[in-house]
Amino acid sequence: MLFAWRGLPGLVCGLVCGTLLGGGFGNVSLGFAVGGLLGLAYALVLPRPLGGKGAAADRAMTAAAFGLPMWGAINVILLPLLAGQMPQWTAEGMRALFPALVGWLLFGFALGLLATGAVRLIERFLGATPAEPKPKVPDFKTRVVILGGGFAGVTAAINLEKEFRHDPTVAFTIVSETNALLFTPMLAEVAASSLEPTHISAPLRSSFRRTAVVRGQVTGVNLEKRSVELSDREETLPYDHLVLALGAVSSLPPGDGIAEHALEFKTLADAMRIRNHVIDVFDRADAERDEAKRRALLTFVIAGGGFSGAELVGGLNDFARGMLADYPNLIANELRIILVHSRERILPELSVSLADYALERMRARGVTFELNARVSAARPGVVALKRKEGEPTEFEIETETLVWTAGAAPNPLLKELPVERDKRGAVLVDGTLAVKGHAGVWALGDCAVVPDSKTGGPCPSTAQFAIREARTLARNLRASILSEPLEAFHFDALGTLCVVGHHTACAEIKGYKFSGFFAWILWRGIYLSKLPGLERKVRVLGDWTIELFFPRDIVQTIDFQPSPKKSAA
Amino acid sequence: MRSRASFLLIGAVVGALGAAALFVLHLVPVLGVLLGGILGACFALLTRFRTTTPGAGLLWGLSFSFLLWLTGPARLLPKVAADTSMGMWDMARAHFPELVGYLLLFGAPLGLVLGACSAREPAAGPNAARFSLPRALVAGGLAGIVGGWAFGQWMEKAHFFPLIAGLVGSASPNVGKSLHFLFAVIIGSTFGLLFQRDVRGCGSSAGWGLAYGIFWWFLGPLTLKSLLSAQRPDWSLAHGQELFGSLMGHIVYGLIVGVIYAALDRLWVVFFIDSDPINRQPEGPGSRTLLSLGRGAVAGLAGGLVFWPQIVAVDGLPWIARLAGGTSPTLGLLVHLAISIAIGAGYGMLFERESPDWGAAIGWGMLYGISWWFVGTLTLFPIWLGASFTWTTAAAAGALSSLLGHLLYGAVTACVFLLLERRHQDWMRLDPRFAAREARLHRPVGTPAPALWFFAIGLAVMLPILLS
Repeated sequence: MLFAWRGLPGLVCGLVCGTLLGGGFGNVSLGFAVGGLLGLAYALVLPRPLGGKGAAADRAMTAAAFGLPMWGAINVILLPLLAGQMPQWTAEGMRALFPALVGWLLFGFALGLLATGAVRLIERFLGATPAEPKPKVPDFKTRVVILGGGFAGVTAAINLEKEFRHDPTVAFTIVSETNALLFTPMLAEVAASSLEPTHISAPLRSSFRRTAVVRGQVTGVNLEKRSVELSDREETLPYDHLVLALGAVSSLPPGDGIAEHALEFKTLADAMRIRNHVIDVFDRADAERDEAKRRALLTFVIAGGGFSGAELVGGLNDFARGMLADYPNLIANELRIILVHSRERILPELSVSLADYALERMRARGVTFELNARVSAARPGVVALKRKEGEPTEFEIETETLVWTAGAAPNPLLKELPVERDKRGAVLVDGTLAVKGHAGVWALGDCAVVPDSKTGGPCPSTAQFAIREARTLARNLRASILSEPLEAFHFDALGTLCVVGHHTACAEIKGYKFSGFFAWILWRGIYLSKLPGLERKVRVLGDWTIELFFPRDIVQTIDFQPSPKKSAA
Repeated sequence: MRSRASFLLIGAVVGALGAAALFVLHLVPVLGVLLGGILGACFALLTRFRTTTPGAGLLWGLSFSFLLWLTGPARLLPKVAADTSMGMWDMARAHFPELVGYLLLFGAPLGLVLGACSAREPAAGPNAARFSLPRALVAGGLAGIVGGWAFGQWMEKAHFFPLIAGLVGSASPNVGKSLHFLFAVIIGSTFGLLFQRDVRGCGSSAGWGLAYGIFWWFLGPLTLKSLLSAQRPDWSLAHGQELFGSLMGHIVYGLIVGVIYAALDRLWVVFFIDSDPINRQPEGPGSRTLLSLGRGAVAGLAGGLVFWPQIVAVDGLPWIARLAGGTSPTLGLLVHLAISIAIGAGYGMLFERESPDWGAAIGWGMLYGISWWFVGTLTLFPIWLGASFTWTTAAAAGALSSLLGHLLYGAVTACVFLLLERRHQDWMRLDPRFAAREARLHRPVGTPAPALWFFAIGLAVMLPILLS
């Protein structure tokens, strides 16, 4: 049909226009033959549909331009070679072939014009050539649903897209309570007003090529029916493969008022709340005449001496002490930043020497430490501590600020699932990241206990492990669909970094220890490179550069004080 | 104004007037005036939906008049059909004045007038670009200064500035230099005025610059310079041969203006238009620029490999090896491939999303290849080897053997690049963000690109042959 619609008119036009080539070839028959062939080929490659108004002019000029390389290829190179001569690409040779060049240019123009017109005429009388089939929505044969928009879930989605880039029949959906991936290593800098909140989050919708993003809260998973229930809609999300990447939540002890009065430090909103709370209490302290109350307002207690707590206390200390310059009524001695930790040294993930260095540096900058102690209760204006040793064993600190960073627990939704879990509630998976006893269900990250295939022990719940687990999971998921062997997970940690204040950090990379300014440069450089998206990198770099020249922003963006009702009268 | 009858009438009138001017100059017989009117009407009919702006009209008019010269009423066409003797080349050289006349008196006015008539209608379609006069003048003027500086290097060497100063009755080189830069700014600004709507990427804009540079060689040194000196223009072949260096300078100037203008234009759009949140367009995830660089490099390697046999056949590898301080053919091959990869990467950067199909890819590729023949072979390579660049007919004649190779390199590079660029699955366009971005960034149908390819490539190949 295509040959009749287009090939024949193209052939005829080519034969007619071939008269222009005969002179160049020195052989009229050869001109007809070449012209006919080219006409046929040209008409067959014309686009379907032919094109709108003015297309004839476009085709004619384009074909004329093509006459030039055709002249070069055939008259200058091919024909002399076939005649046993050298190609005629010297100046003299090209001059001799000048008539052929003119012939080719005119042939091209004429062919383009005539062939387009002829095909258009044929189509007008016999009907348009069927257009090229448009891409259609592929039938999805496999549905993969990922629960959780953190490091593990997002990396899993990105790697699954890569693994299945040639297979459009696999559909991906990610369900997340937030619409962005939070870069948690920089969360303390947001609380300390060193970075803008949105700069450390990458929007999910611009992170994926073909993964559908569902913003919502998962209320249940039916493993038998293979569907996911969401809080804000009746219909469920069916799946063929389910990836549990629900992460962890703050583990606040029940009772004793801690859950009611402590600020958490897990999400972007938590960090913003902490920052604004600090500014708020400073303003209240500035107006407070009672010394004891003022001192309580300027006392900040942070529970938990792990990475989160240590980075937060270092950042808050810098931020709070830096703010004093804007509050001349406040005295530096009244400001207390207290880190409460249940063990005898902070930063148990680091070596002893680095942890001690961090503690000494922060102490020198004004941070107070209560080691071998824990927060036992909280009520408005007071936090109760219990010491393991030393006197008094129980005492209270008057404070308006308690931030809880001591411990996290796997997402409580996992308790609803009929899967094997450890005592903390994390899902037990085998070495290939598959949930035991449930085909097509996978788990990784903070919500899972992932065994290392070499050491046999559980992998740490850190971002670098979550990312590598996600890559392995993507490969294994694809292998399971294709009935190929799966690989067991193994990863050697690259190292750990922790920033504890202005130009001060600790780093342990592949056994090498660094501290101080150099470690701080390492911390910033490495985490900047890992921040997802070039735009985010530029924004964070901009924030850090501005910080070199200007003080940290003390504008309060969340108002905690109830505003008095204003009367119109 | 867009009614077919009025358009044809305007075309006929302007065509007849142009032919009348040619008749006055004894370049066409009296019957040519009537023929001019008919051809003007035919041009208007053929390009009614393409001469939408003065710039587009100019290019279509120039390419049409070039085609007419090739066809040459009662001159070349019979020769093409029946004769292959050297006489045709001599005939073409003898009718060089007609080429100038056809371009300047017939094609250019015809295209400009029809384009101007069309430009009175409001632009239609979602992709129709809004014209900005300050943008055209500022970006074009600045681009003209940069291009003028490059051209001025040759003019200084060829002692052309006193000649330019003669236009205002002076002999001072500084006056000549000032005038030169003034002209450069004016020509650059007119580039912006004419082609702002057609400019998308730096690569295609360089093509527009190449064509505009050639046009200004015909208009400036060959015509206006004499008129401004109150002399009759000399359109003879001999005069054209004398001004071959100026032709090269205009080509290089045009290429530079095209690239710089596109870059400045893009900066302007980013700062003043795209930065407005209201103007934000849907974007798909990921950046393609680095991918385009990589694909271009691979494509350039393929083009270099295809170019390689031609270089070997003319024993060009030792010459290329000299660029790296050696003479061995192996070194020459390595240098050649390295250059091919670099230039290919440049193609990827400059021409990404310019080619909706294979025809467009070959067109842009050939234009790119021949640009590098002018910029590389005739300009940069002599400088790199320690000699000053010589824009002479002898140098061009000596380098003609590589002209075809450059065309072939460009075409192969462009096709391989398009093949690599198209490897994404069609079904990804089902994402409306991808589809919107692809539609917005790809060159639409209806631009004067086909006219540009024919005019620029045709004359860029033909002029060195004719004038050598």
